[in-house]
Amino acid sequence: MNLHTLNRSPADSRVYQQTLQAMGHDDQLLLIEDGVQGALPQLVRYFEDVEGRVYALKEDLEARGLLGLCADNVHVVDVDGFIELTEQADKTITWY
Amino acid sequence: MSKRGFAKEAEEEVRAMNDTQTDLQGDLLVILRHGPHGSSLLREGLDMALVAAAFGRRVSLLFMGTGCTALVSGQGQGPLGQKGTQATLNMLEMYDIETLLVESEAMHALGLKACDLSLPVIEVSPAQIQAAMTTHRLVATF
Repeated sequence: MNLHTLNRSPADSRVYQQTLQAMGHDDQLLLIEDGVQGALPQLVRYFEDVEGRVYALKEDLEARGLLGLCADNVHVVDVDGFIELTEQADKTITWY
Repeated sequence: MSKRGFAKEAEEEVRAMNDTQTDLQGDLLVILRHGPHGSSLLREGLDMALVAAAFGRRVSLLFMGTGCTALVSGQGQGPLGQKGTQATLNMLEMYDIETLLVESEAMHALGLKACDLSLPVIEVSPAQIQAAMTTHRLVATF
């Protein structure tokens, strides 16, 4: 299992398409920095192919005032959770 | 198409995938997603590949998105004489970097064909891209 991190918003950048293309069936996706915009209910549909495997970084959501606006099917994790995800993964693949 | 036809097709695809997977193993997969000249990312990615290869690592390159344009034949200097990346591409063979994968969908989207490219490539499907992510020990994106 690989962890993919994505730091661009699906509203701004099409990098998310490359990320999804590279994700295996049990890989996990962590949205960080501007990527956390993808956790908004209006944007989370871009990640429907990997539903249930989408995480968003709490610190980045908080900084942007988005924590309360997250879609229900996105798992919110803090930096410790980020570290746990990297521990569980064989490797971490960065998309930017 | 009949159910059986579908099953057969799927089976063939899996077999084709397994065949390619054996080719796709390596220590490092460098993903190049940018064309030449617009930024330094392509050069940096190629540099990383060459350094890893110089240390004896088995390196594969995967060109995704507009990164496929990095391989187009006939590249030159920038208008102000900036160095391009063609010279680096020509060195890949010397460093035994011969597995050059290109994203099939991107090639199609850009209207490029393998014959437009300066080096021999393997066009890969999303499933083969996913496989490459697991068959390489390290993956770096540029």
